[in-house]
Amino acid sequence: MKCWDAENEQMNRECLEQVQLERLQSTLNRVHKNVSFYKKQFDELGIQPGAVASVEEITRFPFTSREDLSNNYPYGMFAVPLRDIVRISSSAGTTARPVVVGYTRNDLKLRNTITSRFLTAGGVVDTDVVQICLNPALSSLGRVLKEGAENIGASVMPMSHISTSKQLMVMQDYRTSVLLTTPSYAMHVLHVMEALGMDADSLALKAILTVGEPLIQDTRDKLESGFNVQVMAGYGPADLMGPAVAYECEKKNGLHISEDHFLLEIVDPDTGTPCAPGQVGEVVLTTLTVRAFPLIRFRTGDLASIFRDPCTCGRTLLRMHQVTGHTGGLLTIRGVKVHPAQIEKILKGIAEDFTPRFLLHLYKESYRDMLEIWLAINEAIFPDEMKVIENTLRTLRKQFFQLLGFEVMIKLVEPSTLKQYGKPSGGVIDNRFNS
Amino acid sequence: MLRIKNLHAYYGRIRALENVSLHVRPGEIVSLIGANGAGKTTLLNSISGLIPCAEGEIYFEGRKITGLSSEKVVAAGISQVPEGRQIFHPLTVLENLQLGAYLRFKKKEKKAIERDMEWIFELFPRLKERVKQIAGTLSGGEQQMLAIGRALMARPKLLLLDEPSMGLAPLIVRDIMNTTSALRDKGVTILMVEQNARAALRISDRGYVLETGRVILQGSSEEILNDNEVKRAYLGKDYKTFWEGREKA
Repeated sequence: MKCWDAENEQMNRECLEQVQLERLQSTLNRVHKNVSFYKKQFDELGIQPGAVASVEEITRFPFTSREDLSNNYPYGMFAVPLRDIVRISSSAGTTARPVVVGYTRNDLKLRNTITSRFLTAGGVVDTDVVQICLNPALSSLGRVLKEGAENIGASVMPMSHISTSKQLMVMQDYRTSVLLTTPSYAMHVLHVMEALGMDADSLALKAILTVGEPLIQDTRDKLESGFNVQVMAGYGPADLMGPAVAYECEKKNGLHISEDHFLLEIVDPDTGTPCAPGQVGEVVLTTLTVRAFPLIRFRTGDLASIFRDPCTCGRTLLRMHQVTGHTGGLLTIRGVKVHPAQIEKILKGIAEDFTPRFLLHLYKESYRDMLEIWLAINEAIFPDEMKVIENTLRTLRKQFFQLLGFEVMIKLVEPSTLKQYGKPSGGVIDNRFNS
Repeated sequence: MLRIKNLHAYYGRIRALENVSLHVRPGEIVSLIGANGAGKTTLLNSISGLIPCAEGEIYFEGRKITGLSSEKVVAAGISQVPEGRQIFHPLTVLENLQLGAYLRFKKKEKKAIERDMEWIFELFPRLKERVKQIAGTLSGGEQQMLAIGRALMARPKLLLLDEPSMGLAPLIVRDIMNTTSALRDKGVTILMVEQNARAALRISDRGYVLETGRVILQGSSEEILNDNEVKRAYLGKDYKTFWEGREKA
């Protein structure tokens, strides 16, 4: 087994719990002192950050939601003055406003360490040639992976927006040994490779490491046999904490949580109460070492279960199983998180006082996620003039591309067609997982 | 080696420490950084049993030492070098060192004590030169060496150093820091409080930053040295530009 950071990944549980407690206490003291959002919240609820005697007492604190981040846009959640920030990273987020994350120099360094853990566990070494293939909307994730791989000393090809057949050509000619991508894009590459009549043996690929979406066993099996490689997954809310909050080891039985940097809870998405080990619930994360953008009990919307039995790989970090799906109507399409409300907001922009009625149809085409928006025709908005309709649709497609980083189809339908699905406007028809 | 959980301490009704947790691993030098009155010395005094801690747990090598008397803490293997040296001025260097081994005399470890004395003279040749001199007539740096030597005579596994560089000239500070570093190489683990944060962090593995009795930051010494928040508050850098910037904003 290979560990990037063996001392911390294999720390005995007693030490680890001490480290977690110390870091939690100082993080709470710091956010109370430096972030007015948390100060206000704690003071109103009468919670003394200095009275937390165990890690379990985190449950006394309120959750932080994506809405809270949106309300404090852009810099309200920062715990250090802007002059200490060396990088500002922004992504569309899933609320009305983008998510803005700042990093101090130390933050970047720590995040590289965490990312390197994931990549090392996945078999990446300094002699590897690493190719990163991600959707443009996941560019901040791509950057983190690039830096983590460079930190190990591998030769990294950062993401570039070329066709899949070109990606394959690069993979073959440049002797790529590790591919970093989403599970669904990896499946698409496999499909294109087969369609082109390429042989997996003509590639130097030894591993595929996936991010952005849960890796399901069926996908892993298909990729492993199709490419003849090892496939392992990383997990993390990419825009906020990077792709390696948790990561798989060679045992491929659950993802080790970087518990020395993140406190992970699983809660019932409806009641917010803690779930028992093994029970699936929403992932809630508290940062323990972040300086610039600390988050207390952040609700990720992702679903997973945690289990406590030790792993035979030697790491003492607990493991989690991620499952497909999200809470609160959040969707992941090609690894990009999006909320139907964001789509509604764009559709509303067609005209003043326009209330769109629409459904989202998700399906797969040659293993790639496809999004089709079924929009009910409304005479006020869509007159008979073809030219006007064309223009409106073009503008919409452009806006969706900016939001998601891939092409979206918009289908105009009769209002009665939508009704027959019996779903409220903004509803989702997800056919991606029925094959 | 040392593990502290949720320590609270009071001076009368004033809370000096609030919920402090920290640990020291064998062979480490760990520094406590903070302004005057942040609770650094209180923390050391709570460990060594000089002041009672109101709540919390202190474990040393797995054994709970919370509430033990100072003698028992010393016997367990923790010695403190107090702030301002506090050597016995009218006594000679030799007598001061012998007193440091007070607990061991009772155990009839005379041979071992002599060996340790030699070891300390090796570490601080200046003390050997002045072995018969009255301690009060030593220079500040020599007094600090004597204070450390005296603490070492108890053969501690963990040494608590309180402000070892206080009142010393920069060159002497460097000497003291080098000695501290050398002590660690000889197997003594060190928890140090130091006003001269930069000098202390340079030789430390890790550090904790205390503010009004609470830990607000911890990490490797490198991380803390590079932390702008710490630089402004405790390393005396950028202070002016920072406040000017704030006033404008």
